[in-house]
Amino acid sequence: MSLRAFGNWLESTSLSHLIQTTHGAIADIQVVHIICLATLVALALIFSLRIAGRGLAVESLASLAGRFLPAMWTCIALLLLTGSLLIIAEPGRAIANKVFYIKMALVAVAVVITLWLAAVARREPERPRTIHVVAAGLYMLIWAGIIVAGRLIAYSV
Amino acid sequence: MTASTLIPDTLQWLQGTRLAVSISEYWFPFIESLHVITMAIVAGTIFIVDTRLIGLTSTQLPFSYVSERLLPWTWGAFACSVVTGTLMFIGNATGYYGNTAFRVKMVLLLCAGLNMLFFQYVTFRGVSSWDSGRPPAKARLAGAISVGLWCGVIGFGRWIGFTA
Repeated sequence: MSLRAFGNWLESTSLSHLIQTTHGAIADIQVVHIICLATLVALALIFSLRIAGRGLAVESLASLAGRFLPAMWTCIALLLLTGSLLIIAEPGRAIANKVFYIKMALVAVAVVITLWLAAVARREPERPRTIHVVAAGLYMLIWAGIIVAGRLIAYSV
Repeated sequence: MTASTLIPDTLQWLQGTRLAVSISEYWFPFIESLHVITMAIVAGTIFIVDTRLIGLTSTQLPFSYVSERLLPWTWGAFACSVVTGTLMFIGNATGYYGNTAFRVKMVLLLCAGLNMLFFQYVTFRGVSSWDSGRPPAKARLAGAISVGLWCGVIGFGRWIGFTA
């Protein structure tokens, strides 16, 4: 099945039809998507700052990671769920769009870095190592890139 | 130009400036992306501080410490959000001015600001008595109101794009 055929099939499903025909559903799903994104970006920022020895530095990295990572994974799961609903509702916006694939590639990289930084936090280094601080900075740039790509999808349909 | 047409005429002039034209024709998607990034930091850091205020998260840390370490990021991002939001407004001033979702967003922003001021100058004065423990009901209420208002700001902000 080609991508176009898959998109057409997705668009013909009853779920896609339900979202398309429910007034305000797409906008409201996007609102939930953005609220989850804002929460995740702030948690990632504070987590990254802590890796660099800043922010909530009075708390140990392992303790902060233990509190923040479950919330971050919950946000990522909700983002994937709401993002999937948006794709099901309007497959044409995503499936044939290069920017969408750039966004998804960045999301995959962000997930891998989250797993890595989580492992670093569990080992709890006494002092932040340069490579971890650089990774934390890169991590935030990747989230910024995901937001930019997400917004540019609308302009490159 | 009469008093009744002052605002529409000013917005019409603003929208016709070279800056506004270049924003609407080219820069808008990039400015909007920056607006979303900065807004995410504003709302997200406020959520973290507010959930501490409500007594749901970071309870092992004093409230004043959490707010002191996070709010500089909130204010820095908020300043950038105001700049990017103003540039977006200039690009389609008459459209935004007449848009109900935009007006509701501005009212909610004002309410969030007033809630923050009231908390800072009234409730926060007695912080030493609850800084490391459970905040009083009025502080928890301020936190809950703030979370609701900022969700509303995001919600109506997104709805502008569907109605402008």
